[in-house]
Amino acid sequence: MTKRQTRLFFLGSTLFFALIFIGLTIDSHRQISALTHSDQMTADVIAGKRVWHEKNCTNCHTLLGEGAYYAPDLTKIAEQRGAAYLSQFLKNPAAFYSEAKDRRLMPNLNLGDEQIRHLIAFLSWVSRIDTNGWPPRPLLVSGAFPGSSPAHAQQAAASSDPVALGEALFRKSPPACAACHSTAEGVQLVGPSLAGIAARAQQRLGDPEYRGHAKTAEEYVRESIVAPSMFLVAGPTFSAGGRSFMPDNFGHSLQASEIDHLVAYLMTLK
Amino acid sequence: MRFKSQRVAYYYFVVALLLYGLQVVFGLLSAAKYLGPDPLLHLLPFDKTKEIHTNILIVWVLTGFMGAAYYVVPEESRTEIYSEKLAYGQLIAWTLMGLTTVTGYVFGWTAGNKLLEQPLPMKVVIVLVMLAFLFNIGMTIRKAGRWTTTEAVLVAGLVLSALLYLPALIDFENYTVGIFYRWWTVHLWVEGVWELIQGGLLAFLLIRLSGADREVMEKWLYVIVGLTFIAGILGTAHHYYWIGVPHYWAMFGGTFSALEPLSFFGMAVYAYSALRRSGLSHPNRLALHWTIGSAVYSALGAGILGLAHTWPAVNKWTHGTLITAMHGHMAFFGAYVMIVLAMITYAMPALTGRDEEQSSAVGMWAFWLQVAGMFGMTMAFATAGIVQTYLEHILGIGYLDTQHKLSVHFVMLMGTGSLFAVGVLLFLVDFFFLAVKPRVHGDSRAGSGAAWTPSSAAQASK
Ligand code: HEC
Ligand code: HEC
Ligand code: HEM
Ligand code: HEM
Ligand SMILES: [Fe+2]
Repeated sequence: MTKRQTRLFFLGSTLFFALIFIGLTIDSHRQISALTHSDQMTADVIAGKRVWHEKNCTNCHTLLGEGAYYAPDLTKIAEQRGAAYLSQFLKNPAAFYSEAKDRRLMPNLNLGDEQIRHLIAFLSWVSRIDTNGWPPRPLLVSGAFPGSSPAHAQQAAASSDPVALGEALFRKSPPACAACHSTAEGVQLVGPSLAGIAARAQQRLGDPEYRGHAKTAEEYVRESIVAPSMFLVAGPTFSAGGRSFMPDNFGHSLQASEIDHLVAYLMTLK
Repeated sequence: MRFKSQRVAYYYFVVALLLYGLQVVFGLLSAAKYLGPDPLLHLLPFDKTKEIHTNILIVWVLTGFMGAAYYVVPEESRTEIYSEKLAYGQLIAWTLMGLTTVTGYVFGWTAGNKLLEQPLPMKVVIVLVMLAFLFNIGMTIRKAGRWTTTEAVLVAGLVLSALLYLPALIDFENYTVGIFYRWWTVHLWVEGVWELIQGGLLAFLLIRLSGADREVMEKWLYVIVGLTFIAGILGTAHHYYWIGVPHYWAMFGGTFSALEPLSFFGMAVYAYSALRRSGLSHPNRLALHWTIGSAVYSALGAGILGLAHTWPAVNKWTHGTLITAMHGHMAFFGAYVMIVLAMITYAMPALTGRDEEQSSAVGMWAFWLQVAGMFGMTMAFATAGIVQTYLEHILGIGYLDTQHKLSVHFVMLMGTGSLFAVGVLLFLVDFFFLAVKPRVHGDSRAGSGAAWTPSSAAQASK
């Protein structure tokens, strides 16, 4: 082999692979619109992306798994949390987390209401991008998501037991119930622990504050899922201005049978 | 030093090394915040220290590359630099750009795009300075009418670096498209065109340090950089697995990025065979250490540790964890920090008039402490990353709960990072305080010989 030949090898192979790369890039541009739902990129989404960059969120957080590793991944956060909670959190993170407990805290970035609305629109759009199955398992900010393995979910789907199906759905994301609710006694995440919810539901019906329509514990649990603001569990970080931080769209985003399963599961938590 | 104008390299190295010291300070600050709690939370939160840490890294490594080019090109083309004035002016503009950018970060002036955080006006300055630099280098070569392969590979790397920075100036509306092109800069730099720079400098150093046959060395240099592009161009797709682009990229990314280590292993073999032939007899033992070190550590950090998480089935679990930081540190240090430090220690005797055999004990300590410290830091990030991957991504335990369990690894990171920082400090002491000892010496192999020093030059110009 001479130097002339190795130079040819270098130039030839570089040109060859660069051309393939550019060809694939052109093809990708034809597909990215569909994969990212670019038709849903409203003016709010684009404005939110600008805030994301201006406020340097990416140098603490990862988004689509890229960024810094100091703070939780936010790819699916909009799907897990919903707008009501996120807008309150972004206004004042210190109301929800404590540096003493977690050793770190998101600083208050002094975001305006508009900026927060745009950010949430942007993060919601990101949560719908086709990420080829990533993350393979829901990533949580805190708490635990045990038994959410694909095998576990398959097992549940194979059975027709509504309780098993409900438990599997509870741990899936979406609807990400388990991202906000622990089923262990006394473990408060974003929402209250649901340990003993079946028994507590019964007491709620007798609560003088209760203004809802439920007559039985089961109906109360169902109402809590589809109309969370009907009764607000007391707590400084559960609701604001009469509105629960729990997403209020489960009545639409879940099928009636799925809600039945969730209720069946929750009613086993005595 | 054969050509007087090569001295501009000295000032580039001064700026590069000062920034290196600053980079490490911000690395330690960032690591301290991982441990928490953070007394500076409202003054200088993590996002700012981290962005300053990585941006200073990029700026100083590029400063080092430019200084190295100003040293190598005159020697290879056998001529003085086209315009020394332009070289100094360019260094001043570049340094001001760097300092303005970093100060801006403290006050929240940022483009907030990972590793490309420079605000648009600063990006424009970067492009202009790069153009001035390339013009000066190009005219130097043109004036000489002569160039070597070593030099051509180095300059091609620099030209392509400037070219690949251009997509970073565009603001893409679609976040996914933005990420797609971010990697044209970031990936195609470190796993593409910067390897040309590393390869060119490595060839330059090996030819001089070992006296190996130039014709043979340059022949293999083409093979190495050929392998770089065969694997590295399509290897970009190892960043395209999960970002919302067509799924076929996973197959290309997995396959070709798995071949990327070949060129890094190639460089290690290259260095080994060059030195085996002629032995380790060169008097500048310090430069030899950094040169071999670069070849070995880039094979480990980029080759082995890159390979470790590049396959889609693995990356699915490790993506977005501290595993990436583990690999990023050792790869960047091995490939680009060490090669620049090798050039600096190689050129130092000629630039400062210090005797080569005098490679001080301090310089050796600086080498070994950095090597050991970086090894320890890599281990700290690796163990933290493995635990994080397992607890958070595989078992599904929450992020904050997982981080709590990583404290011991962050303590380890601080400890080994401090060791590393002492190594950097010793390097600076060696460079700034022990090296400037004007004396006449004449080792033609090193290309030195003139009794020139920055201080004597300053006197001469009066
Ligand atoms: C200095 C680092 C830092 C920056 C900058 C930062 N965050 Fe955070 N963020 C955190 C930390 C740490 C947490 C974990 C919760 C806590 O301790 O406050 C967090 C949590 C979050 C959460 C999850 C809250 C929850 O309970 O689900 C969201 C959403 C979020 N950040 C959004 C953002 C957005 C949007 C930006 C940019 C406008 C941003 N963050 C900038 C550090 C940061
Ligand atoms: C963004 C976090 C969040 C998500 C996601 C979420 N919740 Fe809630 N949930 C809350 C909060 C906060 C409360 C307490 C405020 C209230 O009463 O609505 C609550 C209350 C409840 C209650 C009433 C508890 C009581 O003691 O009365 C039930 C039942 C419940 N959630 C079930 C669910 C189910 C089932 C899902 C999944 C389909 C779910 N939640 C998803 C935040 C969340
Ligand atoms: C000197 C060469 C290299 C350097 C300096 C380097 C540096 C880096 C850095 C800094 C990152 C993080 C980038 C970001 O998130 O913005 C990264 C990511 C990555 N690198 Fe490298 N790298 C090198 C070579 C390699 C090689 C040869 C491989 C594969 C064999 C590799 C595989 C990866 C992968 C898979 C990621 C993405 C990790 C993730 O999932 O987030 N790297 N590298
Ligand atoms: C005392 C020494 C150092 C310490 C303690 C340190 C610490 C850190 C920390 C805590 C981060 C942030 C990780 C994150 O994104 O969450 C980081 C990022 C980074 N550092 Fe360092 N660092 C040190 C030295 C260096 C050196 C010498 C280099 C260059 C070779 C370097 C290159 C990088 C890179 C490339 C990143 C981005 C990594 C990524 O995003 O994956 N650091 N460092
Ligand atoms: Fe890469």
